[in-house]
Amino acid sequence: MEIIDDVRAIISKSLKIPVERLTPDARLDELGAESLDVIEIVYDLEEKFDISIPFKADEGTQLNTSGKNGDGELQFATIGDVANVVKTLVEAKASR
Amino acid sequence: MNRVVVTGIGVVSPIGSTRDGFWSALVEARSGIGPIVIAPTERLSTRIAAQVLDFDPSQHFEPKRESLLDRFSQFAVVAARAAVRDAQLEITEEIAPEVATIVGNAAGGQTSVDESYYKLYAERSPRVHPLTIPRWMVNAAVSQVSMDLGIKGPTYTIASACASGTHAIGQAFYLVRSGRARVALAGGTEACLTVGTIKCWEALRLLSADTCRPFSKTRSGLVLGEGAAMVVLETREQAMARGAPIYAEVLGFGMSADAGDIMAIDPDGAARAMRSALNDAKTNAEEIDYVNAHGTGTALNDRVETVALRRAFGASAEGLAVSSSKGVLGHSLGAAGALELVATALALHHQTIPPTANFEEADPDCDLDFVPNAARNAPLRNAMSSSFAFGGLNAVLVLGRA
Repeated sequence: MEIIDDVRAIISKSLKIPVERLTPDARLDELGAESLDVIEIVYDLEEKFDISIPFKADEGTQLNTSGKNGDGELQFATIGDVANVVKTLVEAKASR
Repeated sequence: MNRVVVTGIGVVSPIGSTRDGFWSALVEARSGIGPIVIAPTERLSTRIAAQVLDFDPSQHFEPKRESLLDRFSQFAVVAARAAVRDAQLEITEEIAPEVATIVGNAAGGQTSVDESYYKLYAERSPRVHPLTIPRWMVNAAVSQVSMDLGIKGPTYTIASACASGTHAIGQAFYLVRSGRARVALAGGTEACLTVGTIKCWEALRLLSADTCRPFSKTRSGLVLGEGAAMVVLETREQAMARGAPIYAEVLGFGMSADAGDIMAIDPDGAARAMRSALNDAKTNAEEIDYVNAHGTGTALNDRVETVALRRAFGASAEGLAVSSSKGVLGHSLGAAGALELVATALALHHQTIPPTANFEEADPDCDLDFVPNAARNAPLRNAMSSSFAFGGLNAVLVLGRA
């Protein structure tokens, strides 16, 4: 199973949206995800993959790896972005 | 209806636990935020908080009594004693039934909870400390204040998260204004910088990794704090009769609920609380010269609070000075509103606006005068102090120059 399939399953369960609608370019906000939904999704992903996602709930559609707003490095807006972040972190974990 | 004034101030804070020390640090924007040392950090990713580091309970309590008080109650009692002393007030047997005390608090005795749960879950201990409950209960602080000072009138705790301290002082204001209490001792206390509590805050993903920069474009989240503030409120008539110091007059109190999101501040709810406080104070928006804002340093709060201020103040928002004390004090949750009310009263008393500390860069979304980094002397007629809590509970006080 590809990482994006797990990501879609988790988001589908959280937002109660059929997996088929969770295309890589679908945006979390346009799917109706509020900030509380997103931090729960992030938590579920962290638990599933045993990773830490440096996500700030605060209007974050980007990952703040620097601790300051506005200069995050990774996008966190679409399903594809989320899968990409998870993939990056899982690979980083494997290479450690 | 009585006119109500602030005649005593007591603080326990990350920037000092005397009235004057607190004020100097606030004015000089000397931040109390620093590396966490009061809790072990190996299980945390957060490294900073605004801690009360110079607090030695043994200087304030006999050993037998100390063991009954969680840190949050110790803070409240020490601040309450200081406020009563500052007001040169004697709580005699005769007036005790007419003295009220109301303390705001969000989290209860978290140090005691954390210790007992650690023993239970981590050490698999079959027993926990027998006084865990009387230390932990959210009303412990106000009960200890009443016991310590012999206060026998209306006494209770208000829990409205980050607005608790403001709600408590507002309620006390009502009691004195209506004549239900002759004197009220009110404020807020918080001491929840435990591993468990900080970890749960981390999970919300709102904490800053470096510092708290309210209203700055570079703001990166909130920083947890701790502390307590208590004020003595009494009728202006009584205060003048007994020659008590008067820091400011409490003119009005407003409350509202957003009935919306459990987390996000709502501009309409916040603005309604401000308007309600102005109406209660019979004061126009243009007569307010300074607002001590909630200003947590999260992207969302500060942007939405700016919108709310514009809604509540209309055209007069342009000339309004607004600052947040959280860059200096961190966010001490249930104590925050009380510490900030003290800051607001002292601003009127000294005719000086305490600045917004750690301000780096203006944000187009936060386009008010935030008095960045440097205090400002200005003629201040009236001022406002606002708190907006998780759960959508808003509380706003309006003060006037004494």
